[in-house]
Amino acid sequence: MILLENLTKYYPSSAGKQFVFENINFTFPQGKNIAILGSNGAGKSTLFRIIAGSEYPNKGQVRTELSVSWPVALATGVHPLMTGRENTRFIGRVNGVANLDDFEKKVIEFSELGTKFDLPVRTYSSGMRSRLSFACCISIDFDVYLIDEATSVGDLQFRQKAKTALLNKKNIANIIMVSHDLSELELFCDSAVILHEGKLEFYDNLEHAIDIYKGL
Amino acid sequence: MAKVLRRSLSKIWLDVIYAIFLREVKSNSSDKFGIAWSVISPVAFIFMLSYLRGRMDGGDTHGVPTFFFMVYGMILVQFFLGLVGSVSTALKKHKPLYAFRQVQPISSILAITLFECLVKVFVILLIGIICFILQFDIHINDPLSLLFNLFKVAVFSMSIGVVFALATCYVPEVDKIKLLLLRPMFFISGVFFGLQDIPQEYWPYLTWNPVLHAIELTRYAVYPAYGNAGVSDLYLNVFTLASLGVALVCYHISWKQAISR
Repeated sequence: MILLENLTKYYPSSAGKQFVFENINFTFPQGKNIAILGSNGAGKSTLFRIIAGSEYPNKGQVRTELSVSWPVALATGVHPLMTGRENTRFIGRVNGVANLDDFEKKVIEFSELGTKFDLPVRTYSSGMRSRLSFACCISIDFDVYLIDEATSVGDLQFRQKAKTALLNKKNIANIIMVSHDLSELELFCDSAVILHEGKLEFYDNLEHAIDIYKGL
Repeated sequence: MAKVLRRSLSKIWLDVIYAIFLREVKSNSSDKFGIAWSVISPVAFIFMLSYLRGRMDGGDTHGVPTFFFMVYGMILVQFFLGLVGSVSTALKKHKPLYAFRQVQPISSILAITLFECLVKVFVILLIGIICFILQFDIHINDPLSLLFNLFKVAVFSMSIGVVFALATCYVPEVDKIKLLLLRPMFFISGVFFGLQDIPQEYWPYLTWNPVLHAIELTRYAVYPAYGNAGVSDLYLNVFTLASLGVALVCYHISWKQAISR
């Protein structure tokens, strides 16, 4: 499980400190695929990034024993001047993948980039970049996958592939997802957390949570 | 699916710094000249200036062959300017990498410093080889001091770069001010002149500059006849340690917020 202890996050502005959340204590339960719901600007992406370790809270900390992926959004961490292969190896090294050559094979296979894999990423289309980033994430065995609207990119065929891969992962790992597409959330998640006015509330039943979210 | 290793903290750090280091190498070798340009460009510049000055001067400056008088100065000043420049833009440049929890700003700073130092080693080696081929009389009295001075310049340049990098995250205009401040350093650090060329009453206006101390002390280490009037090893050491201390303190206080902006 993921523990949030006394978490405070604010952004300084000319109108004073804009608090996203203040002193929240929360536990994400183990073994659940959780959707994060909340209105625009509620702080879902910020919370997401704090859990992932991409951003740091002003006070408090996030504690977990699980291996958590980075927030898979569009094309995180991909350097345009390096080739797909070099980027894959970079991501593998940073995340501590045991066998890099094996990892490369899996990524080529999943992303279906073929010969483009050895060309610089700046020659890729934006869809291809997202495919590379998503393929790298899904090919590593994390305990928790953080998905931020990542299944909405790519052509129909790739989206199908991403969906299947995530559905397979659902059984062996957990997914925490942020999305505005309710049907997508219903496909992957079974419970939800609603972030509203700086407070987090866990609902074991996704349908129930969506009703409450619609009523906010 | 690719298994993730359980790594000790030091192994994670080594892996991340190595990965970023490779990334730096790859991004610098993207055009036709490749990585060789990072070595050839400074060597060519140093050689042109030093050689021309040496020929114009007639060979000797205060007991040091003018060529070497210039070369040590140029190597140290280029090291300083290059390292401050790279480290101060490091945080902005590697911002997308901080999305990974294992990558912290200190790793990108260390990786970039490592890269610059490695390039410098090759620059110095290449200059040494060319001097040898041209049969210049290379004379080094105290090589340990020379190496130690290089190390001190590396440390305080990195520290100054870190302070600029953190400040730029909070106030982007610092980047422009930094450029304005670094420009004159090339001229007032004693590359083209020695402290002995300037009347003593003006020394206080120049001796605040640690690069000047490093350059004069290096010339003294290589040719003891040059003398070390006006510069002190103590100042260089204290400045290096103090700047490192300030940089580490500033980093420790502000890194988490600096990358969140």
